[in-house]
Amino acid sequence: MFMGKKFIAAAALIACGFGSQAFAEDGCIVLKSAAEVEKEVVDASGNKTMKLVAVDKAVPGVEVVWTVTANNKCKKPSEKVAINLPVPEHMTYVPDSAVGPGSDVSFSVDGKTFAANGQLTVQENGAARPARHDEFRHVRWTFKDSLQPGATAMARFRAVLN
Amino acid sequence: MKSWRSLSAAGALALCIFGSDPAFAVGSPAGTVINNTAEVTYSVGTVNATATSNMVSVTVAEILDVVVTAQTPSVAVDAGETQREVLYRVTNTGNGTETFLLTMTSVIAGDQFDPVPATPAIYFDTDGSGDLSPGDTPYVAGSNDPVLGDDEFVNVLVVNDIPAGVTDTQIGRTRLTAASRTGTGTPGTLFGGDGDGGVDALAGTTGADGEATSEYLVTDVTLSINQTQAVLNQFGGATPIPGARVTYTFVIDVTGAGSAANAAFTNDIPANTTYVAGSLQYNGATLTDAADTDAGEFAAAVPARVRVALGTLTTASGPQTVTFAVTIN
Repeated sequence: MFMGKKFIAAAALIACGFGSQAFAEDGCIVLKSAAEVEKEVVDASGNKTMKLVAVDKAVPGVEVVWTVTANNKCKKPSEKVAINLPVPEHMTYVPDSAVGPGSDVSFSVDGKTFAANGQLTVQENGAARPARHDEFRHVRWTFKDSLQPGATAMARFRAVLN
Repeated sequence: MKSWRSLSAAGALALCIFGSDPAFAVGSPAGTVINNTAEVTYSVGTVNATATSNMVSVTVAEILDVVVTAQTPSVAVDAGETQREVLYRVTNTGNGTETFLLTMTSVIAGDQFDPVPATPAIYFDTDGSGDLSPGDTPYVAGSNDPVLGDDEFVNVLVVNDIPAGVTDTQIGRTRLTAASRTGTGTPGTLFGGDGDGGVDALAGTTGADGEATSEYLVTDVTLSINQTQAVLNQFGGATPIPGARVTYTFVIDVTGAGSAANAAFTNDIPANTTYVAGSLQYNGATLTDAADTDAGEFAAAVPARVRVALGTLTTASGPQTVTFAVTIN
């Protein structure tokens, strides 16, 4: 009994400890998002390269490149890192455009059920059928390895403005 | 008797002046703000955590696009006629509200005469009749330029006089051009901050202007129609009582030089009568009621009507006779 109380007390302390630690660990990953478009840049020698520039105003039909970076600023690795980015309203996901080195990419229509490309299904007329790329409304990158201190994970997809 | 060709032209076009055509829809409305934020979930040891990113905003800029279509691409006219109109539709195929400048010209290469623009030369088809009528408002550039939302259209009439001295089969062309007041140019031309709500505007694939051309075809041929009827009742008399059979005879006469292409005879079955199946005849030959390879058909869909394709008629064709019978209900 006494042991029990101690245990409970200890457990409560540990819980508090974890609580305070949670506040600290909350700040381990700094997440940044960017919306960009590809522009052709010609240098002085006439060499052409494609460069990503921030987009503020876009015209229907333009392909927007959405990029998210996650940087671990703590001294401990972050595990089970999963980045989520919606395919915003008025935009359509460009097939096979999701990339994220070291991650598995999955998609969702409802925001609750996620599955890999080709495996996500939707219900239509009482039967399940594969979801089309233009139905994807959420993209998730689940990183297989931990994110080491100081390291940055990158996730990206493209979407066309309707 | 009113010229046959103008009868069919006016009858076919009962259009609203303003309308919307989503088939042309370009995309998200100009000025729409799209926000997006990323989220990350992770764990450190046994502690789960989340973080959110900055919010990114993308504003939809305006695309300037317009399409002009000729609703009456070819209109048959006589030499010396005045106030002959052609109908166009101007559709805003961009994604914002735009004001358009309308201009017309009848000096176009490739035809045999120049129609003479009337004064005024451009009208809105205000009463939606499809032809020039007293209810139509003249267009005055800079004063009543049409303002169209995305996918909206307006019907416009261009009016010319036909010169004297033109001859049968000669063609004169007339053209309507619509241009966005925000600006026109090669696709992609930027009009920074000039779009709806101060967003950027860009010339779309149409370059923000459009045009369509129609032609006046001089054709001297005129069709006129004369109708007679004969009543035969069940008692062998001519009193039109319920059950009596009425036989209608239509004689179509062709006068003047030239040819009337795709002439067609159409007549609604009169109210309170019933079409006698198999009674449709063309120049003495019985036509099947079904819509098939012969020239005639009876269509029961309200309003019930008979239709006979007369082909291309000239004076050499001679009078054309169509008959059909009904019984009085």
